Amino acid sequence: MPLTIIKRDEPWKWGALVIFLGALLFCLAVSAALLAGQGKDALHGLYVLWLGSFGNLWALEGALLKAIPLFLCSLGVAVAFRMQIWNIGAEGQFALGAIGATWMSLLFPDLPRLILLPLMFMMAFLLGGIWAFIPAFLKLKLRVNEIISTLMLNYIAILLLDFLVFGVWKDPASFGFPMTPEFTQGAIIPTIGDSRVHWGLLFCLIVGVGLWAFMRFTRLGFELQASGEGARVAKYAKIRYGMLVMFVMFLSGGLAGWAGCVETSAILNRLQPSLMVGYGYTAIVVAWLARLEPLNIAFASFLLAALRVGVENMQLELQIPAAFGVIMEGIILLTVLAGQFFLLYKLERKHSS
Amino acid sequence: MWEFLIPLFAATVQSGTPLIYATLGEIMTERGGVLNLGVEGIMSISALVAFWISFTTGSPWLGFLGAGLAGMVFASLHAFVCISCLGNQVVSGLALTIFGVGLTHYLGVPYVGLHAPGFTPFDFPLLSQIPVLGDVFFKHDMLVYLSFVVPFLFWFFFKRTSLGLHVVATGEMPAAAAAAGLRPIALRYFAVVSGGFLIGLGGAYLSLAYTHLWTNGLSGGRGWIAVALVIFAFWRPGRAVAGAYLFGGVMAFQLRLQAMGTHLPSSLLLMLPYILTILVLILSACFGRRIEAPAALGTNIEPEG
Amino acid sequence: MSELMFVRPVSVRSLPEGTQPVVSLKGVTKRFGKVLANESITMDVYPGRIKALLGENGAGKSTMMSMLAGRYCPDEGHIEVDGKPVRFTSSKDAIAAGIGMVYQHFMLVDCMTVAENVLLGQEGTFFINPREMKKRVGELAEAYGLDIDPAARISDLSMGERQLVEILKLLYRESRILIFDEPTAVLTPEETNKLFEALWRMTEQGKSIIFISHKLEEVIALADEIAILRRGRLEGELDPSAITSKSELASRMVGKEVILEVNRKTVEISEPVLEIRHLTGLGLTDINFRVRKGEIVAVVGVAGNGQKALVEAVTGLCKPPANTVFIMQQPWRKFFAESTWNRSMCYIPEDRLGLATLRNQNMVDNLLLTTRKGFSNGPWLNKKRAEKDTLKLIKKFDIRPGKIHALAWQLSGGNLQKAVLARELYREPRFIVAEQPTQGLDVSATEEVWNRLLDARDISGILLVTGDLNEALQLADYIAVMYRGRILGMLPTSEEATSGKIGPLMAGVTD
Repeated sequence: MPLTIIKRDEPWKWGALVIFLGALLFCLAVSAALLAGQGKDALHGLYVLWLGSFGNLWALEGALLKAIPLFLCSLGVAVAFRMQIWNIGAEGQFALGAIGATWMSLLFPDLPRLILLPLMFMMAFLLGGIWAFIPAFLKLKLRVNEIISTLMLNYIAILLLDFLVFGVWKDPASFGFPMTPEFTQGAIIPTIGDSRVHWGLLFCLIVGVGLWAFMRFTRLGFELQASGEGARVAKYAKIRYGMLVMFVMFLSGGLAGWAGCVETSAILNRLQPSLMVGYGYTAIVVAWLARLEPLNIAFASFLLAALRVGVENMQLELQIPAAFGVIMEGIILLTVLAGQFFLLYKLERKHSS
Repeated sequence: MWEFLIPLFAATVQSGTPLIYATLGEIMTERGGVLNLGVEGIMSISALVAFWISFTTGSPWLGFLGAGLAGMVFASLHAFVCISCLGNQVVSGLALTIFGVGLTHYLGVPYVGLHAPGFTPFDFPLLSQIPVLGDVFFKHDMLVYLSFVVPFLFWFFFKRTSLGLHVVATGEMPAAAAAAGLRPIALRYFAVVSGGFLIGLGGAYLSLAYTHLWTNGLSGGRGWIAVALVIFAFWRPGRAVAGAYLFGGVMAFQLRLQAMGTHLPSSLLLMLPYILTILVLILSACFGRRIEAPAALGTNIEPEG
Repeated sequence: MSELMFVRPVSVRSLPEGTQPVVSLKGVTKRFGKVLANESITMDVYPGRIKALLGENGAGKSTMMSMLAGRYCPDEGHIEVDGKPVRFTSSKDAIAAGIGMVYQHFMLVDCMTVAENVLLGQEGTFFINPREMKKRVGELAEAYGLDIDPAARISDLSMGERQLVEILKLLYRESRILIFDEPTAVLTPEETNKLFEALWRMTEQGKSIIFISHKLEEVIALADEIAILRRGRLEGELDPSAITSKSELASRMVGKEVILEVNRKTVEISEPVLEIRHLTGLGLTDINFRVRKGEIVAVVGVAGNGQKALVEAVTGLCKPPANTVFIMQQPWRKFFAESTWNRSMCYIPEDRLGLATLRNQNMVDNLLLTTRKGFSNGPWLNKKRAEKDTLKLIKKFDIRPGKIHALAWQLSGGNLQKAVLARELYREPRFIVAEQPTQGLDVSATEEVWNRLLDARDISGILLVTGDLNEALQLADYIAVMYRGRILGMLPTSEEATSGKIGPLMAGVTD
């Protein structure tokens, strides 16, 4: 009995969740196979992964910490993707945000926290935003493909960061290591109570809710979503498409910039190359898995952050390379993309005549 | 002057070669109407496969072919997600890059720092005797010589074979191809998978000829530059070669400057190819008459009936 | 009413006793999801005859023919060629069986040459020689007396020439059964005439022709036999010589009495809402005309003669030269800088899904698309009120399915157009630009759209751009005929002679 493809009359309601869970299972299966292929005990490996991700409070805190920059980057990616602007430059915008924050902290080390931190956030948003604004401008004025320009700017941003920490910003007392001096207390986001989790979490909550409300209840948010169906519709509806693209990219870059600021200030307390661990790319995976919805992004970024923490645990205990986590991200995303086929179509047995 | 320029141009040809393979592979893919942003991932993994096969069997040629096959396998993942499952081509390509680069880092760990037998340069009979040109173009390894031939084969394929015509028709208007009795789905698979083969060869060059040593991050963004070069080349093989050598030139120049020990920080020098990519896109938007991409590029073929 | 000049060389040809059909459909059924597109259709096609397939838009004509052409597979029943059952899995099988189809939207690759298009899939060898291909196609064109350059690129050809390429494709494949899906929609009356003569010649060579149309006069003029399709079912087949009146044929096609004319009450005409003065540029040459409140001005012409540019210039999608376009008595730039969301201009585009509506959004968001300023309060948007008004409009215009959560792509063509119309009229426009407002709609939806537009004259002036002459004659006060970016004539519909003048003007004949 051959199968035929039939278009659904209504999109499949719980399909997205089913597909996501299916993809997760598939990804775990492939990961297990990869482990087995390297001569490791696959089940034990997955158990170590689980322990590392969700096994105890320490792990959960770690996941939460990593979820914070992922969440912010991912929100940025999602607003741009909503408009079908393919901003894959979150990594570079993240770096620029970190540079901006560091710049302020090095410039005014002695300011009180209540002034210095807002200053750092502002500069991070500004630089991250400008970094994303460049491709937006080039796209609108010269029709330069934004996928490539944002990506090239990632490489440039990382090299710029290297240039700074190897050169002008290098800590004289670092024994030649490429890093800036440690931030003063005023430039560091404090932790919440006795936990390792810092107040950036609250900041995420505010930004997330704000963005959700913006998309849902404001005219500009509506125009942004409408433009996602194409520049022509936008023009038909007298939406100022060009302005909106530049605004959205600035916002998108600014959010990634904030992520960079939070990460440098709260986690590393200084600028150094090890800051760049690919949050900007994982953010794309998160945004797409979350179907670009802010609430889903919160869940998805926590999940992928937990995966990262779990893989770190595997790295320690089983000497599995860190790239293992990246592979899992890639597989989940590919599987979900393939599975989304079933949201609009279904397979049916052919009625043979 | 010549003492500086000839080695520079020769190095240009060397650094340009992987870009020629990868760019032609991406042109093939896009001519069939599919955008494949997984070039970087495919190049990485196929470089590793080439290294691994050459390392274990001792035959660089087997490694070269194996890399092509690996390219085909990875490209067919993209083909399956986009062509059969109608997944978003941009995101699928990104996912493929994430996956491919990750897998390379994961599987490549045991080989870091090891040497594998690769292709070695030799003087091409007769042609290497030509003054200047001989030194620049004909004192390389086999894969470079092969890269001189591939663009012509490529041109021939699109201009002089029916299959080439069918691929173009599928990239421009799949419905028209279907109405003419062709199978656009199969043709798109063909374009993506054969494009993947060429991209894989580009990866093989990196680990078997450009260097014989395995390091992580060998492709270093070359896959993305290839994607940009496709736009610069307006989907034509001839311009692709020119673009590839332009980038090869900048990379070679940048390495040369570093080797000569300038006081410019290396991070600034390393930025050059990436800045050039953006500049090249700006220039081709400003000047070149606007030649449009294949009309159906990036859109999926929805199933009927 | 129409400009059809074709006169068949002989009267309806009778079918010789004992002729075997070349193609038969036997109880063919095709479903798309819940929609039954074709229901147990049985039909024969005979050699050397022209069979017209008459039916409304959405009656299932194209689906039925796409099954013959191998694009779709029947769910039930089967197709027979020369009395033997066949199963087509792709166009390739149908081509091999001698069935060829010219689709309504031409299946030509714009960037390739005529020769490459004709030979696509039929090259015969793996290696090809462009010069030889051109020669082969050139000879073929010459043999059939078709005037076309095999080296020309499709993008440089007119619609009429493109159709010739499509016909060449079928001739090259030696198709015995040629299917034409609404072939006259893009042709001038002159070109239509030529096409009909060519079709007739082909039948004399023994080829069978299936001619799909919803234009009654064409069908009566050309066909040897007429099959009527209604709501996916074959309503019956008849002999054109037995037809007594057009309205009889029309009512069989629609299944109810059809009012082929609308009642147009006179409306007071007042100030101009659109004035175009010496507009040159954007592919247009010296356009001058105006539309006043209370009147409808129709712009007609063969597709691709500048209508698109005119509409884009008027609606703000592209920018005309300064001081050429005045809307509501303001210069273009000032009007678009200051225009409000309501009591202003609205535009009902041809492209309903993708330009006029948000494909993947629901009815409320689609209402908000152009009316959002009416629901905003500072930066905020009042979605509650928008929902209420959407419900009201759905009721008033009877848009189905009557749910506000229905997405635009789920609506049928007629309902989508009603939704667009409802939204645009909600803005109480003073000036409406309506582009092909009834294209692809069935008769009842067409009637409704026509009446809504006529009623709208109370508050606004209307610029109607249409390819349907009947629509222009029914609705408009004046008809402007466009040809190659110029308006060749502005004809009042109140004069009897107007309908006769349009055809020659559309072909560029001015005397």
